[in-house]
Amino acid sequence: MKRYVSGRLLQLIPVLFGVTFLTFALLSLAPGDPVQKKLSAQGIAVTKDVLLETRKEMGLDRPWTLRYASWLFDLLHGDLGDSYKDGTPVAGRLVKAMKYTGILAISAFLLALVISLPLGIYGGIKKAGFLDRMIQLFCLAGYAVPGFLLAVLLIYLFCIRLKVFPIIAKGTVQGLFLPTLTLALPLASRLTRQVRASVLNQMEMEYVDGAKARGVLKPYILIFHILRNAMISILTVFGLSIGTLLGGSVVIENIFMWPGMGKMVMDSITARDYPVVQGFVLVMAVIYVIINLIVDISYHLLDPRLEEI
Amino acid sequence: MMKKILAVLLGTGFMTASLYGCHNSTAVGTAPKGQASDKKIIRVSESFALQTLDPHLDYQGWYTSIYGVTETLFHMNDQSTVTPLLAESASANGAVWSIRLNEKAFFSNGDPVTPDMVIRNLKEAGEINFRFSNFTKYTYAVVDKYTFTIDTGTIYPMLINDLASPELAIADLDHSGDKKTGLVATGPFVISSFEPGGTIEVARNEQYWNGKAKLDGAVFYYMPEAGTSFLAIQNGEIDTYTSVTSDAAEQYRKEPETYTLTTIPATRLQFYILNENRMNASLRKATNLTIDSKAIGAYLNGTVSETVGPFGPSASYGKVTKAKPDVKAAKALLEGDGYTINSDGYYEKDGKVLSIHLAYYAARSLDTLAALMQEQLKEVGIHVVLTCEEDPDGTYIATGDFDIGLFCMISDKAGDPYYFINCTLADGAPYNCGGFKNDQVQLMIKELETETDTNKRAQLANQVIQTAIDEDAFGYVALFNKITVTRNGVKGVAENNPFDFYFLSADTDMD
Repeated sequence: MKRYVSGRLLQLIPVLFGVTFLTFALLSLAPGDPVQKKLSAQGIAVTKDVLLETRKEMGLDRPWTLRYASWLFDLLHGDLGDSYKDGTPVAGRLVKAMKYTGILAISAFLLALVISLPLGIYGGIKKAGFLDRMIQLFCLAGYAVPGFLLAVLLIYLFCIRLKVFPIIAKGTVQGLFLPTLTLALPLASRLTRQVRASVLNQMEMEYVDGAKARGVLKPYILIFHILRNAMISILTVFGLSIGTLLGGSVVIENIFMWPGMGKMVMDSITARDYPVVQGFVLVMAVIYVIINLIVDISYHLLDPRLEEI
Repeated sequence: MMKKILAVLLGTGFMTASLYGCHNSTAVGTAPKGQASDKKIIRVSESFALQTLDPHLDYQGWYTSIYGVTETLFHMNDQSTVTPLLAESASANGAVWSIRLNEKAFFSNGDPVTPDMVIRNLKEAGEINFRFSNFTKYTYAVVDKYTFTIDTGTIYPMLINDLASPELAIADLDHSGDKKTGLVATGPFVISSFEPGGTIEVARNEQYWNGKAKLDGAVFYYMPEAGTSFLAIQNGEIDTYTSVTSDAAEQYRKEPETYTLTTIPATRLQFYILNENRMNASLRKATNLTIDSKAIGAYLNGTVSETVGPFGPSASYGKVTKAKPDVKAAKALLEGDGYTINSDGYYEKDGKVLSIHLAYYAARSLDTLAALMQEQLKEVGIHVVLTCEEDPDGTYIATGDFDIGLFCMISDKAGDPYYFINCTLADGAPYNCGGFKNDQVQLMIKELETETDTNKRAQLANQVIQTAIDEDAFGYVALFNKITVTRNGVKGVAENNPFDFYFLSADTDMD
């Protein structure tokens, strides 16, 4: 196991190199000049001399390959560089945004789990019943309603009509509730479908009939046989979902004034703030690789029949 | 069994939700933490957030000015006229400006504003902000306790306009640290709480040199989404904000007993460049006679005001005229040029449809403007092909590859016409990319560069712009409106000032 984990972690090196190189190349080849964006951010035109002078000062007059090499060199020395936009260190910005996104992602994920596991299991067991149809309706609505609309509806309901939450409540438990709910509901609908489908699939297996015939209690069959076997496919979806959540959501973060990763990276792409985008890509690549690794390890722990890793 | 488990889970969920809801529910619509109810604290939403407080960096001075924390030597009033603020007077003798500081002006820590400190600020701003790098090239000299000189090398009449730019704010550099989280300046308010990238709170500067601020303080919430501001003001959680969207404005107009909406033409201009290298005089004239700015303004539903020239009509340098839209005259011009209408309703000549290429970028409503212009030109019989570019400066503005090029920029950055004229009409200017060339205009621009008499400057500017309009080199469509909403009782938030960088002042008040 240790060998496998260290091998996977070593694979991070070429993955990170490839991802950051490609990102740097694409950003550099894409239209848009960070200097122009920085100096004309408010719509004031600048002369060519000022543009050239600023490009030189920021090192943007060098070929992108050299700039990438320089970025990589700094990275190996623990320096992610400074934002083109405001000169603040990228590492500090990322840490702050990650803290906010992490809190939101984890709370949304946990809430989605709390909703989806019982609903999915119930739907799988009581297939085609009234409640199952309601659950399927919830899943459909969760898929169909866009995040921004759900956010506004929730604000309208909880803040304007019921007045149980203030709109401006950043940094408090109250401030966390609505963005969590907005992120969790669509995710819960996706997870519910997955859990339901996996449970249904397992319910049709012969080992379930066998266990029933042997007189094993239904809850025991459900928890120790059906769910355990269903977890393999469910975990894959969970892993991917938490990765997506940790990338941040621009719309939710904008509406709820939540200073997370999504908003930060979107602003940075618009402003062609390459160092921030590079830092974000690097962090996300690490997160995805680690989550995938955890999911792979958990497969083995859940099902020892799987090939020894 | 499963039903029981589900019931327990659902019950727990509802209980948690109820507890969340009950917890501290009195906070809805109340003042922020630490605010006593008898204090006058205005709550504002802003669509930007600062990472540091350095007013000299990039456009950050705009925001510290909005917060009422920083001030400049000169100020732009509601009529776009430069008036002294930290400075008492300024006079020029050739290239040498003599500036006398206001003897009463001092920083929030009680230290006086000295010529030496002002010079250090101007030099620092020039060093870290490339748009003001000219301030590193000037020669400064302290004359006495309140007076200093700036030698600009060549005659530079716009110096005091530059000195009204919020990026040239005067801070106490000895007591502001690295200006990342602290700033000592001269404004009616001081920073009391600063969260980089988030909320900023300011409190009254008890030692303000220019009278006592009427408010005790203000809170600026970062709300990048206009919809959130709309809901927050309805919920009584904020008192005012600017950049109101047209649909929100419509709602506020329906509730005059609660809200006051102020709309004025600001300084951001939507315009188009007609490429003289690819369109002849008749086609350019026909285009200008077809484009109906009023109809475009009406479609954009109060977010813009139609304009004749690039500057607001109240400015002395905004007195120009243009022909009213006249579709018949436009058609006559095209027909006089040998075009005939084909069965599709488009003009054609020698079997070739009259088709023009309109380039734009999707920001500042230019996408809507492009579609409206396409529609209006189609009605006359001109086929328009639209091209949307991500980076106008790197594409059609740089190459001149367009028949009509749309652009949006601030036309009046500091109460003077030279900046806009110089970057759109001078030979070789970055936005004179449509082949406009007029020797008389170039001479006038040269004269404008050094002319010190304000009236003569306005006259020259009007002549230059009028020539550009008459030669159909450009089409000036609309000025974006500055739309401010306040809850009734809030006043003095610079709602009548066309510049975006003013908001809080000592006169800001609320009932």
